[in-house]
Amino acid sequence: MKALRHGDHRRLPASLVLAGGVLLLALSFVIGSARGAYAISPLQLWNVLLDMLGGSTQPTPEHLVFMNIRLPRLLLGVAAGAALGLSGALMQGLFRNPLADPGLIGVSSGAALAAGMTIVLGSLWFPEMPRTLGSWTLVAAAFTGSLLVTMLVYALSQQDGATRVGLMLLAGVAINALAGAGLGYLTFLATDEQLRNIQFWLLGSLGGARWSAVALVFAMVTAAAGSGIALARPLNAIALGEAQAALLGVPVERVKRLAVLLTALAVGAVTATTGIIGFIGLVAPHCVRLVAGPDHRIVLPGSALLGAALVLAADSVARTMVKPAELPLGVLTAFVGVPFFLLLLRHFKSRL
Amino acid sequence: MKAGFSLLRRRDALRYFSLPVVSAVPGVGGLGATAARAQGQAPVRMPRIVSVSGATTEIVYALGAEKQLVGTDTTSLYPAAALQTPKVGYMRQLSAEGLLSLKPDAVIGTTEAGPLVVMDQVRSAGVKLELVEADHTWTEVQRKVAAVGRATARVAQAAALQAKLDAQWAEVLAAVARKGGRKPRAIFILSHSGSPQVAGEKTAAHAMLNYAGLDNALVSTGGSANFAGYRAMTPEAVVTAAPDVIVTTTQGVEAVGGLEKFWQRPGLELTPAYKRRALVALDALYLIGFGPRLPQAVAELHQAGLKAVA
Amino acid sequence: MNARNMHDFSLIAGLLEVVGVGVEVPGRALLRAASAQFAAGQVTAVLGPNGAGKSTLMSVLTGQRQPTGGDVFLAGKALAAYAPIDLARVRASVAQETQVAFEFTVREVVELGRYPHRSRPGKSGADIPLQAMQATAVEHLQHRALNTLSGGEKARVHLARALAQVWEPAVGPASAQATRWLLLDEPTAALDLQHQHRMLQLVRAWATAQGVGVVAVLHDLNLALRYSDRCVVLQGGEVVGSGATAEVLTPACIEKVWGVVAHPVAPQGGAAGPSQYLFEAPI
Repeated sequence: MKALRHGDHRRLPASLVLAGGVLLLALSFVIGSARGAYAISPLQLWNVLLDMLGGSTQPTPEHLVFMNIRLPRLLLGVAAGAALGLSGALMQGLFRNPLADPGLIGVSSGAALAAGMTIVLGSLWFPEMPRTLGSWTLVAAAFTGSLLVTMLVYALSQQDGATRVGLMLLAGVAINALAGAGLGYLTFLATDEQLRNIQFWLLGSLGGARWSAVALVFAMVTAAAGSGIALARPLNAIALGEAQAALLGVPVERVKRLAVLLTALAVGAVTATTGIIGFIGLVAPHCVRLVAGPDHRIVLPGSALLGAALVLAADSVARTMVKPAELPLGVLTAFVGVPFFLLLLRHFKSRL
Repeated sequence: MKAGFSLLRRRDALRYFSLPVVSAVPGVGGLGATAARAQGQAPVRMPRIVSVSGATTEIVYALGAEKQLVGTDTTSLYPAAALQTPKVGYMRQLSAEGLLSLKPDAVIGTTEAGPLVVMDQVRSAGVKLELVEADHTWTEVQRKVAAVGRATARVAQAAALQAKLDAQWAEVLAAVARKGGRKPRAIFILSHSGSPQVAGEKTAAHAMLNYAGLDNALVSTGGSANFAGYRAMTPEAVVTAAPDVIVTTTQGVEAVGGLEKFWQRPGLELTPAYKRRALVALDALYLIGFGPRLPQAVAELHQAGLKAVA
Repeated sequence: MNARNMHDFSLIAGLLEVVGVGVEVPGRALLRAASAQFAAGQVTAVLGPNGAGKSTLMSVLTGQRQPTGGDVFLAGKALAAYAPIDLARVRASVAQETQVAFEFTVREVVELGRYPHRSRPGKSGADIPLQAMQATAVEHLQHRALNTLSGGEKARVHLARALAQVWEPAVGPASAQATRWLLLDEPTAALDLQHQHRMLQLVRAWATAQGVGVVAVLHDLNLALRYSDRCVVLQGGEVVGSGATAEVLTPACIEKVWGVVAHPVAPQGGAAGPSQYLFEAPI
């Protein structure tokens, strides 16, 4: 590490940062595996691992709890954090602004509005629907909602056959406000029980993660991440401005479309399954940039790794702090994310 | 292997003080207890219960089975001892691991318990789910008592309790039927959070008003205007309904800041109820929880209605 | 076009041509039927008062703006017919102002100039970004964040990036003879005296020694006289003069276009070199 001079930025080498990210994620995963409301000692956990590898005659209760409840939840957490972190970095690169986050293009508000409509109006229009939704209806509705709203924001940002990022920002702000107002109206119509359902959905949770949903989300996020990494160098060039990037041969329009599409799919799938998990998409890329600089070849994968680690850490606390009850995840992500961010800020910035 | 397994469980139990030390070897799904029952013996130990509904919790205490109660939800507020049990959270947002960590043999509640996926996970771990459909009738209470009896392995005591409650119920209904004359008009206002709402058909409150010999003024004023569920309270609707007495919950009055503030709601001052400040405020669980205190609640509501128009 | 085909191919290969280009926005015309030729191996200055359309012309050359009339031809082929990546390998541009998001270092920004060549590394494999930084004297700043530099230092960094972009003739089929182009919009605006001259000396050396075609928007007429071979003078969106700089920039032309009186000053002691002017506002 070079000595700090005025305007110099202490930076860690890329391999160190990425290795650190992997290590952090692995650590969060292991800790998350060991902690939970249901007591599973390290020895029992080890036995479960052996059972998984060697096959067992009679699964112990610990085995069942871990395999059917805790493990899918951990994997959903990894997928959620990776999707949010990566999409946050993509959006910040696209908008050339470190204050951007995936919610800007309407993914979260669209999902929230659709979820609210399903919870409040669904029972009105389809009274046969089970009262406690948590089945695929809500998931499908939320995913559709997020895609539709994002498509609307994207369509509104087209001018002269090209996507104007400035327009996208304004359209996103406007549509988000509209969706928020719609959600407000729904809360006005809602009964107490519907209100509670909406509130809990908005606060986000990894609870109720079932293998079918987890596998689907994981597959989508992996696909998105794979394609997203290829956007790293183009996004670096776009930091010089879209005009200059085009002069460097970057297919800017295609890059914008792909970034928006990947964000919509990955974050849409995650939000539909978990509700709104805030803050990760904003803070994970920041932390990586603080430590490793703005090169997207490090920021994109780094944000995915760090996002996953943060979500797992926050969820571990959510699951155990008030056991046998559970705190909503959205409450914890800021509590966990902010101290981490401030710590890095102190250590890696010579001046603000 | 089995001895080692039980040793582990005892160590775990000692480490986490919330779990009572057990000397036998239970499975998570109460396999030991059911297996024993199937053989015609008395269960090795009484089944462990988690109750996720205020009404079923009350019934557990009424049966004297509180020692079997290892966890309740946040709506289980009566009797006061229930507040000391481990709380598994709000009944619609339960945690699978949280429930299973209490090693219950059965979970009792209403069909509103959720999320659905969590209930499925708990069920597939071998825990018996006794979920009662809430249809706001006396049979709902009967089903709850029977469910608690099955879950706590106290079927005989449950039957006895049921008989006692049935007798109380019959007595109350008779008293209500005896009183002839005009039925007092009433509306039920729910205002725990946000804007106040009024109860229409197919609600617990509506059923309570009917049982207590009161007319739900919002429903009887005209067939076309009838609505089901709760609706936002509008001054015009309240004035048109012209209730003789307002029924609400104590929590609702507290939430708005006391009786005076409650009466300041727009529209209320033009009702017949306002002149005599005819208001009945009862605890929410007591009034619309459809638990074992239902006969008393109906009786109290009936008396208050009579007083309002006397 | 047949007449053109009869000419020496290398002549056309080295030609960047604007033919009857017009750019209109609602309300007014930024450029009106502008025609000009820019040749490889020469520095051509684009001159004119504020609002004359110089930046508009540059934006048409870089392809940022689509002309509403007329066309731009590079080596005889319309700009629009080229694939963007092929253009990026032979044409580099520095805008008046480039806002760089995030805290990229100087080194990272200059390395971005090699983006079009990422799949085909240069034959020498040498550290081209480093050489480019040395050429514009910003090597000592390479680990500094770009946004902490002064305006002049930033300008030199962006020039280094452009140089890195066209450092070597492009590798690959059909481009072995392709002329490289540097399009600079007011490159000296933020520079101090010394670096103004150094920079123009540098790009002139590139033009004469390597055959790169340089087009530069300049405000300083004396710098244009000293360092450019040809010039194109714009006024009110129209080309009012083009040709050898010394011939076009007469005091009469200067007074007509810029509205200032120009007094020629011959080089001292009979030394060779272009004449320069002293300017004063007319009475």
